[in-house]
Amino acid sequence: MSGTANIMPPASLITDAEMELRAEVRAFLAEQRAGGRRVWAVDSWLSSWDEDFSRELAARGWVGMTVPVEYGGRGRTFKERFAVVEELLAVGAPVAAHWIADRQIAPSLLKFGTEEQKRAYLPRIAAGESYWGIGMSEPNSGSDLASVRTRADRVDGGWTITGSKVWTSGAHRAHAFIVLARSAPLDTDARHAGLSQFIVELAQDGVEVRPIVSMNGDQHFNEVFLDGVFVPDSRVFGEIGRGWQQVTSELGFERSGPERVLSTFPLLTEIVQNVAEGRLDLDADLGRLVARVTGLHQMSMAVSGALQRGESADVSAAVVKVMGTTTEGDVADYADLLLGDGSDVTSELTRLTTRAVDQRPGFTLRGGTSEVLRGVIARGMGLR
Amino acid sequence: MNEDFLTPDADLLEMLDGVFSSYREAHAPLAGRLTLDREFWAELDELGLVRLTGAEDKGGSGASWVEGRALVEAAVRHGVRVPAAENDLLAGWVRDAIGIDGVDAVSNAVSTVAIVDGNGVAKNVPWAGEADTIVVVWLVDEGYLAAEVPAARVRLTPGENMLGEPRDTIAVELDSIIGSPVAAETVAELRRRSALVRAVQVSAALECSLDLALEYVPVRVQFGRPIAKLQAVQNLLADIATETSLARSSTDSAFTKALVEGWSAEGLDFLVAVARSCAGHAASVVVRNAHQVFGAVGTTREHRLHEYTRAALAWRGEYGAVRSWDLQVSAAARNAGPGGLWALIAR
Repeated sequence: MSGTANIMPPASLITDAEMELRAEVRAFLAEQRAGGRRVWAVDSWLSSWDEDFSRELAARGWVGMTVPVEYGGRGRTFKERFAVVEELLAVGAPVAAHWIADRQIAPSLLKFGTEEQKRAYLPRIAAGESYWGIGMSEPNSGSDLASVRTRADRVDGGWTITGSKVWTSGAHRAHAFIVLARSAPLDTDARHAGLSQFIVELAQDGVEVRPIVSMNGDQHFNEVFLDGVFVPDSRVFGEIGRGWQQVTSELGFERSGPERVLSTFPLLTEIVQNVAEGRLDLDADLGRLVARVTGLHQMSMAVSGALQRGESADVSAAVVKVMGTTTEGDVADYADLLLGDGSDVTSELTRLTTRAVDQRPGFTLRGGTSEVLRGVIARGMGLR
Repeated sequence: MNEDFLTPDADLLEMLDGVFSSYREAHAPLAGRLTLDREFWAELDELGLVRLTGAEDKGGSGASWVEGRALVEAAVRHGVRVPAAENDLLAGWVRDAIGIDGVDAVSNAVSTVAIVDGNGVAKNVPWAGEADTIVVVWLVDEGYLAAEVPAARVRLTPGENMLGEPRDTIAVELDSIIGSPVAAETVAELRRRSALVRAVQVSAALECSLDLALEYVPVRVQFGRPIAKLQAVQNLLADIATETSLARSSTDSAFTKALVEGWSAEGLDFLVAVARSCAGHAASVVVRNAHQVFGAVGTTREHRLHEYTRAALAWRGEYGAVRSWDLQVSAAARNAGPGGLWALIAR
């Protein structure tokens, strides 16, 4: 069998049951859009924060879907969540408030959290009321995550955390984040050892959140300073010393998701609107991009099928992320090449295009840069 | 959904690899126009591979397209050029679907299929010059007609694709043959099947390019180490893998849809166009990067790389140029409109 046959899981079609669920979400979103009171945006999962919308979704059972009922969730499958999230991102729904909590924190809590932590946090996450950030990157630790310098020192009854975290999306509005810190001195022969994770509530003493303004004037990123923040033993996340294994164990889920493909789908839709209205010519490049997005949807469906079956999908997920985030950016660039001061296009298209080209550089950086991911793929093929 | 039936039988795969690799070992591919080795074809027939997917009561082996696809892929893998897909998956299928009888009882006859214009002409008919019969399909006022015509009754102008595979122009005297009616949907299915066969072949050729490159880079030493260790080379290979995955996934999705829901499934036209677009553009990156990895030796006749890279380029434009598939996807998107675009993709 060939190399790629081992990389990509087999095709996974949408089942009738999944289609029904999608239809429900589509009907809800169509109703919401008709109401017209919300912003439908490019990159909405990072930057469109709307707590009312998060609660409305939760009321319909579309937040914390995979959380068991006993913790306030809906006990649904990973593939069902995947279907709902695809539908939300395809229209650019404002999902940023609950995004990290729903995608990352809930599954991590289920896997590594204590019983008490699960009961303390999961019901409110599933209610769309508890918002979280990620505390991994630091000013001097981007792709090289093992180099984090934030320090956890053992004290009576817990740990004190000192250091700073950066690019923490939504920290100025979120309730808590999970901090990756060094709990034992760096061993240069085992750089991934001695790392641990801690749950830090952002209102705690010693936590300071400073905004980082993006180049277009927006704010969603922050730097978070931790000055001797006390974390009781009950808020240690997972096992001391197992931080690296914990943060890398869920990468397949994070990297192959629809947010790596659909960040600019609302823009693609608006291009089609302009083509349908005769404002733009029909050209082959549009088809090339629509075909690629379709292929990526099929690839991420295939990966989600593998994850659902409990198979490891680190390499196929990296494949989806490299190509998906590149394609999201290609959509932005395609639109930008069409527009000029003589264009007769909708103002919505101009708005979405500007937004997309501003957000584009982030697509291939966040969640593992394309360069790191190509390394993951190369390693998966036995080259490293 | 149980999709086990989508996996071909392991014994068959092994048999196919054995048959094609031993043939290949004894027969290095030639340059120029290719002919069909009738002895090899007879051997394939004895093994039940010539009409692999034909119904058993019509002399076929009763296998599914899953096995048919495996056969086509095995031929690609070993660089053996035979009209297996044209004879079995296309001409054989359409003959049985329409219910026309073969012109003779010879089981190992070679057939191809062509949709001709009102003058009875079709260009680039695969393997026409090597075929015994050609299933001809044409449109009249009342609808489509089809007939199986002996090759001797067809005027033929030879042509080849860049691999040397016959792609001949044929001219048939339509007045002199009696056609059986064919449903327009059957012709539409034939077009889908034809297009997807080439997507399968392109994807397989891209995978083989990747495999070949993965074998080469750990043993090719430059600057005192295997080039596999150079990050620049790793990146070339990662992008080959990524594009190849896209070609495979999009082809698989169309194929799976066809096998699960039928070749007339709603939306299959779109998925076929997507597969052809994705596989076609994937070939650009894979061919470029694979040749870059191999350096000058990869451009020689002696090296096997061209058996995959040139094949991918030759096939990606057959049954429609890549750009024509792009445009078909564009048109589908416009017709779906902004309200239907996502539903076109996710259904």
